[in-house]
Amino acid sequence: MSSTELTDVVGDYAAESAVLTTVRHMLVEVIGEDYALAVDIDMDTSFNRDLELESIEFVTLSAKLREHYGNTVNFAAFLGDKEVAEVAELTVGELVTYISGCVARD
Amino acid sequence: MSRILFVVPPLAGHVLPTVALGQELAERGHDVAWVGHTEVACRLLPPELTLFPAERPGSETWLTETYERSRGLRGPAAFQFLWKDFLVPLAGRMIAGVEAAVHEFGADLLVVDQQALAGALIARKHRLPWITSATTSAELTNPFTMVPKFGEWVRAQLDELQRAQGIRSDDAALGDLRFSEHLVLAYTTESFVGMNATVPSQCVFVGPSLGKRVESGDYDWDWLDPRRQHVLVSMGTIDRENNGRFLNTVVEAVAPLAHRVQVSIAAAPGLIERSPDHVRVREFVPQLDLLKHSAAVVCHGGHNTVCESLANGLPLVVAPIRDDQPIIAEQVVASGVGRRVHFGRVRPAELREAILSVLDQPGYRAAAEQIQSSFADAGGTVTAADHVEKLL
Repeated sequence: MSSTELTDVVGDYAAESAVLTTVRHMLVEVIGEDYALAVDIDMDTSFNRDLELESIEFVTLSAKLREHYGNTVNFAAFLGDKEVAEVAELTVGELVTYISGCVARD
Repeated sequence: MSRILFVVPPLAGHVLPTVALGQELAERGHDVAWVGHTEVACRLLPPELTLFPAERPGSETWLTETYERSRGLRGPAAFQFLWKDFLVPLAGRMIAGVEAAVHEFGADLLVVDQQALAGALIARKHRLPWITSATTSAELTNPFTMVPKFGEWVRAQLDELQRAQGIRSDDAALGDLRFSEHLVLAYTTESFVGMNATVPSQCVFVGPSLGKRVESGDYDWDWLDPRRQHVLVSMGTIDRENNGRFLNTVVEAVAPLAHRVQVSIAAAPGLIERSPDHVRVREFVPQLDLLKHSAAVVCHGGHNTVCESLANGLPLVVAPIRDDQPIIAEQVVASGVGRRVHFGRVRPAELREAILSVLDQPGYRAAAEQIQSSFADAGGTVTAADHVEKLL
């Protein structure tokens, strides 16, 4: 691995971890602080199984993402493209990776 | 006089509206019978009514295992399970039983619960007139705006089911098995569902079909104190064992309210650790009778319980668990008849606040009474029977 490639990887990692912090903050707002204390929101946290995020809460999350990232991140397109089984297993990490990709392209 | 066969899935809430409708049609001189699962339908049907078995003896094992596997599932995982692991296989399992019942009874018309897909398949196969009994209104709305592939996924499975069961392509082209091309009975009203429902033109809103219900279990009526308000808590028959956390939150929420409320909780034994004197826990309660003595209802957003509450003009607190319940919960919120809380997360203080607001803020009760009048105007079981007779 060349040093430029290494810088890129480190840069990606830093960008992703910044996005994770942002998403985690939003999720705490959506599910409520006292409940969030009991869950460690990480890349492999499942929206359905671990957070029990309900569809109306996805709508709230979508609004928060729009507010923060503007048109850079299209959450509706991200979710709208998913099959049933994919949504059932969706993790915070998949959303974070998607957002990081949108931000990097922007 | 005609011979009308009701096809029902092994879900109590889906059998009940057909019992009321069937009894009304029997009183009008028609011959009626049911095909369903004896272990579920037997205790809901008055003993003089005929029940044909939907499956061979031994099906209980599959049902018990399926319920067991579905326990604890929520959201999209529950949605996926409902269609792929329950309703579509159920159609295959019931098809021989439904066909046998149609022949043995000599049915002229089928009334098919929206989730008993085998009834729709047999009707299409034998080109018999059939009616969809839409126990819940969830299928009449489009809940998949954020996940459009969910709707396509269900439709694809239903198309495949028609192909696999050898329905001729011109019959299959009559459409989605969830919607009879002749008549869809929806046991609600447009006032409650909301105007953004995308309703097929053959759908009629008849309001709840409550009719004459066989109530199971008596109640200690003397315990009810007329100086206090009564709150009924009912979280449905499917997730009974899964409700422990929520039910104990209810008990904690109402603990300081002994001076002003009494609470009846329908719950499986062993879920509630301790309850104070003003809280009664029973496995089964005579819900329709108890509602007449109640001031508010806490429930899971099951369509029957919500509509039975509204038929009594009662405001609600809903904690939807899965399936259609989040959709019905949104109808509760949008129509102003109650509050929604999070089943998995709500804490006692928030729940207490929600219960007290629906009891104390007159807007909730007034909105519930408006829905109550819309139900009364719709006519319920009698109107449903009128529509059925038009097809005979």
